[in-house]
Amino acid sequence: MKTNRSVSIPWHMIFIGIIIILTFPIIFAVGISFKPLEDAYNNALNFIPTQPTLENYETFFNSLNVVKIVSNTFIIATTVTLFKVFTSFLAAYAFVFFDFKGKNMLYFLLISTIFIPFSVTMIPNYLMISDLGLADSVWGVILPQLADAVGILLLRQSMKTIPISLIEVARLDNLGHPRIMKNIVLPLVKPAVTSTGIWFFILSWNEYVWPVLILKTVDHYTLPLALQMYISSEGGTNFTVAMAVAVITMIIPLTLYLLFQKYIIGTFASSGIK
Amino acid sequence: MKGYLKLFSLLALMLMLAACGKSGSTTSNNSAASDEKTVIEYWHVNAETQGGKTVEELVKAFNEQSKTTKVVAKYNPDMYKGLMQNLQAEAASGKSPAVVQVGWSFLDYFSNNFSYISPQEVIDQHFPDDRTFLKDHFLDNVLELAQNSEGIQVGIPYSLSTPVLYINKDLLKEAGLDENGPKTWQEVKEFSKKIKEKTGKHGFYMQEPADNWATQALLESNGARMLSGKKAAFASKEGIEAYQLLADMIVKDKTALHLPWDQGVQSFIDGNVAMAYTTIARRSQIQDNAKFNAAAIKSPAWEGKNVRLPAGGAMLAITAQEEKQQKAAWEFMKYLYSVESMAKWTEGTGYVPPRKDVAEDENGLKDFLAENEMMKAAIEQMDGVVSWTSFPGDAGLEAEQKLLDIRDEILGGKTSVEEGLKTTEKEINKLLK
Amino acid sequence: MQAAKPAKIKFTADHWKAYGLLIPSLIIFILFMFWPFMYTIYLSFFDWNMVKPTKEFVGLQNYKEVLTDPTTYKVFGNTLLYIGLLLIINLIIPYILAFVLDIVLKRFNHLYKGAIFLPSVISLVVGSILFTWLLNPVSGPAAIILGWFGIDMPIWSKLDGWVIVVLSLITSWKVFGYNFIVLYASVNGISREVIEAARLDGVPLWKIFFHLVLPMSSATGIYVFIITIVQGLQYVFTPIKVITQGGPNYASSNAIYHAYHEAFVLYRTGHSAALSILTMAIFILLLILEFKFVERGIHYEN
Repeated sequence: MKTNRSVSIPWHMIFIGIIIILTFPIIFAVGISFKPLEDAYNNALNFIPTQPTLENYETFFNSLNVVKIVSNTFIIATTVTLFKVFTSFLAAYAFVFFDFKGKNMLYFLLISTIFIPFSVTMIPNYLMISDLGLADSVWGVILPQLADAVGILLLRQSMKTIPISLIEVARLDNLGHPRIMKNIVLPLVKPAVTSTGIWFFILSWNEYVWPVLILKTVDHYTLPLALQMYISSEGGTNFTVAMAVAVITMIIPLTLYLLFQKYIIGTFASSGIK
Repeated sequence: MKGYLKLFSLLALMLMLAACGKSGSTTSNNSAASDEKTVIEYWHVNAETQGGKTVEELVKAFNEQSKTTKVVAKYNPDMYKGLMQNLQAEAASGKSPAVVQVGWSFLDYFSNNFSYISPQEVIDQHFPDDRTFLKDHFLDNVLELAQNSEGIQVGIPYSLSTPVLYINKDLLKEAGLDENGPKTWQEVKEFSKKIKEKTGKHGFYMQEPADNWATQALLESNGARMLSGKKAAFASKEGIEAYQLLADMIVKDKTALHLPWDQGVQSFIDGNVAMAYTTIARRSQIQDNAKFNAAAIKSPAWEGKNVRLPAGGAMLAITAQEEKQQKAAWEFMKYLYSVESMAKWTEGTGYVPPRKDVAEDENGLKDFLAENEMMKAAIEQMDGVVSWTSFPGDAGLEAEQKLLDIRDEILGGKTSVEEGLKTTEKEINKLLK
Repeated sequence: MQAAKPAKIKFTADHWKAYGLLIPSLIIFILFMFWPFMYTIYLSFFDWNMVKPTKEFVGLQNYKEVLTDPTTYKVFGNTLLYIGLLLIINLIIPYILAFVLDIVLKRFNHLYKGAIFLPSVISLVVGSILFTWLLNPVSGPAAIILGWFGIDMPIWSKLDGWVIVVLSLITSWKVFGYNFIVLYASVNGISREVIEAARLDGVPLWKIFFHLVLPMSSATGIYVFIITIVQGLQYVFTPIKVITQGGPNYASSNAIYHAYHEAFVLYRTGHSAALSILTMAIFILLLILEFKFVERGIHYEN
């Protein structure tokens, strides 16, 4: 099937246009992170570092323990992602393949929490965390982030597409629920699990409001918190250092994406998210 | 399935790291606690661009010389509002840091709602030698900044800033104007017009953060008052006249800019705006990055009138609850208020030192001031400093917000100055009653 | 649709197993969502500022005040505008583009997908700082380029309407790529034979899109629809906070930011709580409507 060129060329132009708009800010950020702040101010258009300097990165690395901060961020985001996917998977499975008292009500209750703005839960959660003795700790940052119903919503949506007959047959073969989950349901909803997982990871990776409240010692800082240290309304933002921090913040999710790109796109494409 | 395996082994590794990291940090905490110093928390808002480095240095130096106290500094993003937010959460959980920075606009709110102890009280109870420390080293009008509407000394002024006028001498010259900049607000308006005509650049920008600090300077210098007694009074003849000048520059003449703060300063630094009215705390940002001949001059006055400049910045307050912590808090604060520490603080932040003797002292700022001309303007205008009005009572912050809302309406050209200010004044007084 | 009422046939007996599966989620939600939420409902009947030792019971006063405050309606109006814009930019446009890339163009799709996905990994705090700089209407690169064509860039952050459009665009910069990838995958998953056959028969592309592709990928469509609204509104929060703080005069505020503003800028905890409860009520209503009407019509392809 060939598409004639008069149709495809304008569309390619549109795609290239969109890609320029979407990627330009990133290229700009990377470029400017290798320039002195003074140049950034005085030459707004010229973002290509003709004489690249590492001074912005040096400023960041000299004032904070970057390796520690990156690993903190990574540990938190990974744990959050794993836990959320796991608990959401169990809950979604219960909602789709079981019938029990209060099911609909419970489901609505859980899902409606999606619309609770975090500012509502912030203070009570803080009390809870400090009562549990978890202030200024990794778990204090992690736990409240787990209360997110989006995963349940998405995975339920996906599991509902599994023909019930499949499960029935498996039950007749005396397969237990753990095996059904692992051998039948998981492979079928893999794309949904993957996409939700990525979504969770990026979300948690960039989370800053909550960690700001919980974390006190610099040793426990995460990357978005480190970024905040270069932003001040009164003293002004150090734009180039902020961009250097931003570049470092991008690297890990980006590498993960590139590493798993084929696989991610592959799972999506094999059956779509349903 | 291979991909999943890879992913999971990676995750497992991370979890292990997490476990190690956690156990590692607990042991280090234990060892810190064992040397029996009183550990206190110091909460500040100083980002790296605004003295964050200096806070670290000061705290480190203090910890090295103190045998009894160990200070842990906590940075709070989002300025004094952010700090207040975190303090609220902390207070709700029944704990509190020992020393906190409280922004001036939160003075009343802080003293009405948080439990604090006046520094003088701690001194009287435990440090008889320091009894006259405050009186000896601070100007009365400066100490007053940290008194609430009932006259109680809530804290001690620490970070002091005033608004100054930054000028681009090259642009003024190009427009054929006096390079030393305008002295009065009327001149600011004329300069702005000329600059636009002659150079095509914008003439003037006044900072627009989420507070009314600069507005207060503009209005009160013309003889208006934000508050008279416990009532809002800014919509007086003088107040309206002053606001009108700014509105005219933006709406009618279109020679001044109506922009968010960061963008406005950016436009000054890259030479698109010739004059910027903003805080001395932006000095290093402007000084380090502007490629033209930049200067800071004293806040413009209204013809024949004295300037009244609200103090920006913060005071230090003691929120420690236990006696031992309170003692440690003062030990730390006294260190911060020494001439040497104050000088370091000014150099790192651009704030004006609140102590009277720091500027001239050999150990203080003498050399620094010789090198940083821009600071002079701020120090010279200290006699015009008044306290930053915080509207009294529970609805004070809401009142402040109303004034901000109307700023957008007026400077956006949607309502006239007179009508806008008068209605807002009425609304605020209804709130404050 | 056979999956809609699934387990009734087989598993009615194992109530307890179901509860067991839900327990991890329930514990977390009770601690960190329901308890805080009940507390919020409770607070919405009080006049309090979060730190005062005493809370004053005021009954429905907070609700009354919120409902009579014109700002509330302005903010809800803005919220709808945000939703509308976000849906156009992050559902309709990527849907069409995904279709075009998969069915019409086919070439370069790896390159396009990778490049489009890039911004999704970046935090909106970074995005907001970056765009404040790039879109500075006087000094930013965008303004300079427009200047070459003699166009003055509007001071978007201070103009009603503009400000919502620009903040939506900034938010979309982050959301667009993820949505696009998901939609692409779904369109790509549709059986080729049907589409090729239709094309051989000379069915116009727009008909293929509306009559074949749309219904066959509608489950993903709903997914993206929901996630765009839910996450979109939470996401817009960051640029609002960093760039405009809800201004000028609430013209860029949305329901979530406004609740934050009431609670943490004005310290009117009761108002904020009442506003949050009302916002939630509206959304739950939408959710119920969605489940009642939309989900029934979805084609689940097995």
